[in-house]
Amino acid sequence: MSQPPAANDHPPAALPSDQSPNPQQPEAASNPPEPTPTSPPNRPPRPKKKKGPNYALLHSSPLPLSTHPLPPFHPSHPLSLLHLCYTYLSHLLSPPSSHPTTLYTGYFSPQTRSVHITDPRTMRALWEMGFFGKGTLSRSEPSWLERESAKVLAERAGEGVGRGGAAEEATRRRREERRLFKLERARVERGRIERQRAVEEGRITVEEAARLGAGDEGKVGGDGEVGGGGREEEQPLLGTGAPAASLTDGGGQLLDPASAQAEPSLAPGNTIAPTSTGPTEPSVNENPTHPPNPAEQHPELNIPNQEHLQLTLEEAFFLSFALGVLEIRPYPSTTTSTTATPDPNLTPTTLLGLFTAHSTFPPTLTPTPTPPIATLPPDSPFLLAYTTYHHFRSLGWVIRPGVKFAVDYLLYNRGPVFSHAEFGVLVLPAYTHPYWSSAAGLEHRRKGNGGRREGKDWWWLHCVNRVQSQVRKTLVLAFVDVPPPYCEVAAGEGEGGQGIAGLLRRYEIREFVVKRWLANRSRD
Amino acid sequence: MADMDEDTIPRSGPPAEDIDLSEETQDFRFLAAVSNEDAKIPKRGEKDFEPHATALQSNTLAASRLAMHNALSFQRAHQPKGYTTATYHPESNKAYALNPKGPLFAKMGHVLSSKDDPLGDDELRGNRLWLLPEEVLYLIERGTLDVRWPADEDDDDQECLPMSLQGAYAMFIGDEESHEGALTFERYSVYSGLKRMGYTVQRAPSWDGPGTPPGPDCYAPLPQQTWQPGLFNISHWWKTLFASQAAGTPEEQSGDQLVQPGLYRSYADIYRRLSLVAWRDPTTAHMLSQQATILADAGLRITYHVWKPGSQTFKKSAPGPPDFRIAVVNGRETSMPSLQQLSSLMDTVPYTPPKEDGQLYQKLRYGYKNVILAVVDQGVVSYLRIADAAFGRERLYERKAKSFNGKRGGRGGGRGGRGRGR
Repeated sequence: MSQPPAANDHPPAALPSDQSPNPQQPEAASNPPEPTPTSPPNRPPRPKKKKGPNYALLHSSPLPLSTHPLPPFHPSHPLSLLHLCYTYLSHLLSPPSSHPTTLYTGYFSPQTRSVHITDPRTMRALWEMGFFGKGTLSRSEPSWLERESAKVLAERAGEGVGRGGAAEEATRRRREERRLFKLERARVERGRIERQRAVEEGRITVEEAARLGAGDEGKVGGDGEVGGGGREEEQPLLGTGAPAASLTDGGGQLLDPASAQAEPSLAPGNTIAPTSTGPTEPSVNENPTHPPNPAEQHPELNIPNQEHLQLTLEEAFFLSFALGVLEIRPYPSTTTSTTATPDPNLTPTTLLGLFTAHSTFPPTLTPTPTPPIATLPPDSPFLLAYTTYHHFRSLGWVIRPGVKFAVDYLLYNRGPVFSHAEFGVLVLPAYTHPYWSSAAGLEHRRKGNGGRREGKDWWWLHCVNRVQSQVRKTLVLAFVDVPPPYCEVAAGEGEGGQGIAGLLRRYEIREFVVKRWLANRSRD
Repeated sequence: MADMDEDTIPRSGPPAEDIDLSEETQDFRFLAAVSNEDAKIPKRGEKDFEPHATALQSNTLAASRLAMHNALSFQRAHQPKGYTTATYHPESNKAYALNPKGPLFAKMGHVLSSKDDPLGDDELRGNRLWLLPEEVLYLIERGTLDVRWPADEDDDDQECLPMSLQGAYAMFIGDEESHEGALTFERYSVYSGLKRMGYTVQRAPSWDGPGTPPGPDCYAPLPQQTWQPGLFNISHWWKTLFASQAAGTPEEQSGDQLVQPGLYRSYADIYRRLSLVAWRDPTTAHMLSQQATILADAGLRITYHVWKPGSQTFKKSAPGPPDFRIAVVNGRETSMPSLQQLSSLMDTVPYTPPKEDGQLYQKLRYGYKNVILAVVDQGVVSYLRIADAAFGRERLYERKAKSFNGKRGGRGGGRGGRGRGR
């Protein structure tokens, strides 16, 4: 019986008996959204929980582009044919574009080696459509302004204003409960030891000690039982109003009355936003499924947003090169002359050189601002990481940095809000081409390692594997087969094209899944 | 709410399938209560984190220590029943036993043919069971075997000199190099560990050399060439009619962008344009004649073939395909394998694809080929299962599109779909 946490301050009653012993179900496919029909009749009715945001609708596009599917044709509704033809013709005559009319802008910051997004519309768009980036003052989703406004409002009103649904609030509350539980448990333990000592020294009899102890043990029922408070943290924090979001197959059971009315030919229960205006312009105010934002509701607060969205170099390059929705500029420095630079946007080729240079520390800047692609070292950390990033993105995975779990990347099926990451990816270079065994190649590899011995040891692999099994993820080793540099390739060998795409086509990725094998458990 | 992984700190410890009780420190007090019976798996005792000066705690600790000392100082003796004598053969560093009885010998040892037998083809050849060094050591440790040094010419009426345990280790592991054997202490640790758990362990063909070249079962089967007589799908024609009008073939992209602005009907179209990086597909690696000369890397080869304890199909004469393949690695002297080592190891393993209609995560975790690495670090063995997964074969965007089409009757496939009973 899964019990999603309440967004309001309702302290859950201690229910040790009817909670399932293993409430954590990381695989979303095995987390069926069932109502709770089995509550005993004499329990007081639960207060209504505030509904969380509808994640399946918010994050309905996996990439920050919009698609325009044709409406479905139902032979039993002749009007649907008219609708289909009308849409088709309008697409022919004035084709809508997949990219937003004004592209998003980001600024490259060499100090933090990342790309900063400051425009709030862009921040929301990039987070909602593909889970790119991280808010600098938040844990992942940029929610600092919401939390600040909520805090100010709460201070003003004293108490009782509904706190926003920000994740940090829930974590803070949960940590506070856990701390109180630990204090209580330590106190009980100390009491038990005291009584034991007293019995041994003959001060009190055994029966008296048992009587004294019975009162305490009832409060803290063993290790790990926090009553209801501890159970919260083990439930995946899905929005309570979006049960369909837990299906791994991207269930299309969304019921959105607003979009259903636009389609006359739709059967009930058969919607997934087929309107032509894709969500290229997600505006926070008009979206009915977004939680009430205290910052929007009280514009007199006037708190300047001090947070920005930070994109890693791979994410920024993917958005700029592969999708073409992001324009990256250098930060306008204060010492520029009055004559404006003709085109401040950096082209993907320039970006490639820039990011490759900044992927090592200290950055290996070249004299020319745009080094030709042929001179870039093919095993630079940026190229290895980007190749893996692009590979998994192009298969449909949502891939995010995994430094919190000691891996390079985490793979999510739909996104962090829907389910846990199932795989943690480690990127390892592989040198199989004969060039890398030659003298020049070996020298290149030695310099790249800084003189250290190449190859990781077994203890490191076991550490990472142990961390993954503790958090119920699977470790994936992604070997990236590094091609030889352009100048070393014989003239006859095909390169797969020119430009950045040609460079990326020369890599090859091979994945291995590592899992611990237990001899005791594999006997049958 | 935005990042479920961080919110959840698993409280219940590692998942149940990852707990291996043999790694936990046992509570020996149960042994003191039960003298000679077969042991049950011991439960973990309560763990205290600091001394708190109660007599109860120190008494418990003393009792546990005493129980452990008693258990370890138990004297191991040979059983009068099932007592077998074997004779050491110095030239081949093996031992032979004449007609040994007992269930253990049903799965261990070989009877050599007349040309292989070093002692020649005499009347005892059929009853002579030859035991490999690791088998002999395991049986001596266990107490079922008593190995004797070979008799000299002058005193062959007497009983021969018994070999001590130290002598056995010195000959069978220490003297392997002079006999061109390949048994090391690491390999013996893995062997004895698995045997104690009940598995049947045999040497693989690549025990001390490249072994047999990979046969056709190590590669994916060739695709069947069936002739499909012109099934021109109506829905396919309908879809191509309404296909995306965006800019041309992916090959001629201008250098700046992969996905040009245009009209896309579905996200699957966009994802298809993004596919750029090559990935190795295990289902397309077919057997070619020149691949037969691939040699396994010396550092990483299959060492043992292992069968499960309850295996019905194992017979000494015809063992059948093994359940697991184990490659023993010395964790102190080697580092993590490179791609060449892993791929040449994988080349020698048969091709076992996952079920086609399985769940996504199960298919990815199962992999198309798998092998178990036994990493031995000074006697402590850790097993890692490495599987060759092909993420590129499971395209998430197609799985989602398939589920959409199944639920809604197909976008644009309506005319053709009318007759198909949707």
